[in-house]
Amino acid sequence: MSERKVTVGAEVGLHARPAATFVRRAAEAPMDITVCRASGGTTANGKSILQIMGLDVRQGEDIVIRAEGDGADEVLDELAAIAGAP
Amino acid sequence: MKTVLAPVEGVAVPLSSVPDPVFSAGMVGPGTAIDPAREPGKAVAPISGKIMKLHPHAYVIVGDDGRGVLVHLGIDTVQLKGRGFQLLAAEGDRVSAGQPVVAWDPAAIEAGGRSPVCPVIALDAAQESVTGAVVGGVHAGDELFQWE
Repeated sequence: MSERKVTVGAEVGLHARPAATFVRRAAEAPMDITVCRASGGTTANGKSILQIMGLDVRQGEDIVIRAEGDGADEVLDELAAIAGAP
Repeated sequence: MKTVLAPVEGVAVPLSSVPDPVFSAGMVGPGTAIDPAREPGKAVAPISGKIMKLHPHAYVIVGDDGRGVLVHLGIDTVQLKGRGFQLLAAEGDRVSAGQPVVAWDPAAIEAGGRSPVCPVIALDAAQESVTGAVVGGVHAGDELFQWE
């Protein structure tokens, strides 16, 4: 299992464009992708726009993205870049 | 099959006409949009279920089948930080389809330089699962599209 901790950079948080872009990239990955706050709590399916919106992550909050399997590190790097982008 | 109702009164238009590529390109999901009547109104729940997320400018209702519908009141309206919107329900409430959720004034949104058009999105849905989308005049609570 690989993971990336990233601070959400967009003013709107992980909603709207950042959320849609994140989920689209995650959905292309063959493995499961999970997202949760670094502080814990609910774990969301990174491929579900409904669950990502439900997580309601705001700008400046830290999230942990996890994936396992071949290519996980590459996918996680891309997802972390999307989530961290201003 | 799930029937999704029009959350506001106005003219139903294709998502492709929404002036925000996140919605017009279907990135958030399939659905349709309503160009709202320019008068104060109440946006209603498009389906029965639980209000999973309630922002002044947008809300998500999740039905007992786990399927969620997003209603976004205007474009870039997150920037208003709630000004001009009045919540008529609370996050976590159970609502019936057609029940008022947020009061707003599309004319005021437009006067502020933003589009008041309302995307109505089937979340986590395949593009082809949304059918029968109405085009033209609708009242709040009218059938808007089917989600197969």
